[in-house]
This record gives sequence, structure tokens and C-alpha cells, in this order.
Amino acid sequence: MNSSVSIALVVFTLAFVLSMLVAAMIKVVYWTVRYLSSRMENRK
Amino acid sequence: MTGTDFLSLFQGVHTLLESSTAIMLARIGFMILGMLLVYLGKKGILEPLLMIPMGLGMSAVNAGVLTLSSGQQGTLFLDPLVTNQEQLFNLMQIDFLQPIYTLMFSNGLIACFVFMGIGVLLDVGYVLARPFLSMFLAICAELGTVATFPIATAMGFNANDAASISMVGGADGPMVLYTSLMLSKDLFVPIGVVAYLYLGLTYGGYPYLIKFLVPAKLRALPITEKKVIVVTSGQKLAFAVVGCTVLCLLFPVAAPLFFSLFLGVAVREAGLQYFVDFIGGPLLYGATLFLGLTLGVLCEASTILSPKVLLLLILGIIALLLSGIGGIMGGYIVYLLSGRKFNPVIGIAGVSCVPTTAKVAQKIVSEVAPNVVVLPIALGASISGVITTAILTGIYVTIIPQLKLLFPQ
Repeated sequence: MNSSVSIALVVFTLAFVLSMLVAAMIKVVYWTVRYLSSRMENRK
Repeated sequence: MTGTDFLSLFQGVHTLLESSTAIMLARIGFMILGMLLVYLGKKGILEPLLMIPMGLGMSAVNAGVLTLSSGQQGTLFLDPLVTNQEQLFNLMQIDFLQPIYTLMFSNGLIACFVFMGIGVLLDVGYVLARPFLSMFLAICAELGTVATFPIATAMGFNANDAASISMVGGADGPMVLYTSLMLSKDLFVPIGVVAYLYLGLTYGGYPYLIKFLVPAKLRALPITEKKVIVVTSGQKLAFAVVGCTVLCLLFPVAAPLFFSLFLGVAVREAGLQYFVDFIGGPLLYGATLFLGLTLGVLCEASTILSPKVLLLLILGIIALLLSGIGGIMGGYIVYLLSGRKFNPVIGIAGVSCVPTTAKVAQKIVSEVAPNVVVLPIALGASISGVITTAILTGIYVTIIPQLKLLFPQ
């Protein structure tokens, strides 16, 4: 039982960290594409 | 003509009377349950797209049991338990749904088709507008997916089966099917059926949970948006490409599901209208039809009857209940962190039943405050729920086999 609670905690911590990394990745993608598209528009 | 000879003309009745009392009662019970599912589907209480083929399949397969040439009882629908290659080849020519089961269902292809369809329907712009908020609510709503695991092991399930039934908390049918196919092949039929039955209930059950946990005053809380965030299709496409690549890199085991979901998103955002029409129409609805039909047909009494089924039913409802509570707890955390300016009802949308839970959140809020719109934020949380459930699928499918080495029972 104790080991399964530990596994559940490890799984949740890992999932939480990964979810926040995905959120950060989404932000990075959002700003990168925004920056690139504004640069391209400025060139025109 | 004796009574037995006469009955053998009607093999369904003959096999019913010849089987053990438990099997006979279970077959009759499943026939009635199948009819009930069709009725509840027609009434709109359960999801009709799944429940009508599933219910009809359940009734028909339990009625149509006959004595096969081998002398054993069986059906002409499919045999999920066959492992011998020669026997399987013969069955492919006899059982009409065996090719669908073997070539589309048991390898997860049908789940991937459904995921492509979901991807085409998703507007990831809602997630891109508020990624941290959406992902935070979604991960809170995975409480059931995680907390059910130790409960299931305490009830006597091994780690593989416990992880599979825990995935019901993610409220995502294809993910549950995929996890149980990967981790517990013996139980994937009952787990899949339990998952799809309960997913149909979320629309009916969650409103009561929200009303119980969130007072009317907070349910009416308006959302004040500082600025409207515009997300272009280029940004959405870039997210789909990068997101798919990174998640496949992290969890190769769940790569088919990630790929299917993001393929749908990419096709939509690239503006490939012919593909969008095909994936969002014939492919999605065709896959849903055969998914419901196969799940129903798999509910043959002698296949599904196991003492574990009752436990699975209990664990499934625990998982979904805990996920709902977790989502609302997430909503409360954001409410407190935002200086009491966030409607905690939105937390329920983190449970990834796209778009059902988001619609539930909006419906409950509209009942007390018709002018308050929470749907865009709720949709963001709901779509993020698909991603967090996929992450948890990847974690379970990857680490549980490793844990077997660390904790050999």
C-alpha cells in the first residue's frame, strides 16, 4: 500500500512538472511565432 | 420430436437453458442492459453515438450464442480470447467482426482514429491564450487518475490493472482503451466498457457535484478579461508540430496517440479542408460506430463475467468523482490566487471530456448568472485535459513495467 501511494505521488509530481513544461513550451512557441511573423511583416 | 430436439432449432434459447445459472442470468441481464442503453441513448441521457450501437451489440451478442462445431458455446460476432494464429485466421473468415477487432481494435488503431477526429474538432487557440492556467486546472482534474491507483492496489489489483482502471479518472475513452491494451490485456474489455459507460454519465452527474461543492454566490462570479488574446493559425500549427515532437520524444510508448491528436490539429490549422472534412466526418463517425459496436459485442456474458467487474465499476466511479473534486479544488486554488476574481466552477472543465465538461461548467454558471461567459476559459482547460491525460498515459505505460522490476509482487 505504502509503495503504491509513493508511486502515485511520483506519477503526479512527474505529470505536474511535465504539464508545466508543456505550458512553458506553448508560451515559447506562441511568442516565437509572434516575433517571427512581426519581423516578416516589418521586412515587407 | 423431443423437447430438446425442438429447442436445438432455436440455438440461442437452447444455449441459454444449457448454460450455468450465473451465465444464464448474466446473459439475460446484458440483453436487458443493452436495451436500456439504447433507450438512454435515445433519450439523450447517455451519449447516443456510442450507446446505441453498443447497447444493440450487447443485446444481440448475448442473445446469439450457439453451439459451435467444436462443441463449445460461442457466437459468430468475434472471439477476443483467441491467441493461436491458425485459429485466428479461421475465425477471420467466420466471425464477421473479427477483422475489425483484430486489425483495428486490439492494436489501438480505432482509438487513434477517434483521436484524429478529436484533434480536428479542437481549437487549441483556447489553450495557447492561457497555457499555464489551462494546464494547471487540467492537472488538478487528474486527481482521480492518480489517487485511484493506490485504492485499486489496496483492493487487490496488480500495478498494471490498477493503472488501467485509474485512467478512467482522465475521462478520456481512447486513453483508457490504449492504457488497458498496453498494460492489462486480460481486463481491457471490462475496463473499456466501464469507462465508456461512466463517461456518458459525466454530463448528468457532474452538475450535482459542482452544486454541492461551489455555493451559488461563487458560481455567479463574473470573469474579467484584461485583454483579448488573438492566436493565429500559424501559432496553433507551430504548437501542434513542436508539441507532438516533444511529447513523442518524452513518451514513445504513447506516440501513436500524441501523433493522432496533433495530426488532427495540424490538418485543421493548415487549412487542409478535404482532410478536415474526411477526418472530422466519415473517419471519426465511422470509428465511433465500430468502437461502440465492438465494445457492445465484447460484453458477451462468458467473456466479461468476472468477480473483478464489480470492483472495476466501483473504482471507475471513484476515479471520476475524485477527478471532478480535484478539478474544482484547482478552480478554488486559482480563485484564491487571483484575489477571488476567478469562477471556481471552471475547474470541472479540466476533466478532459471535450467539450462536455466545458459545456457543463457554462450551463451551471448560466443557471445562476445568465450573462457570465466562462466557456472560452473552460474549453482551454478541457483541451488541456486531453494533453494531461495523454501525459499520464505515457507515464503509466512507461513506468509501470519498470516498477515491476523494482517491486516484483
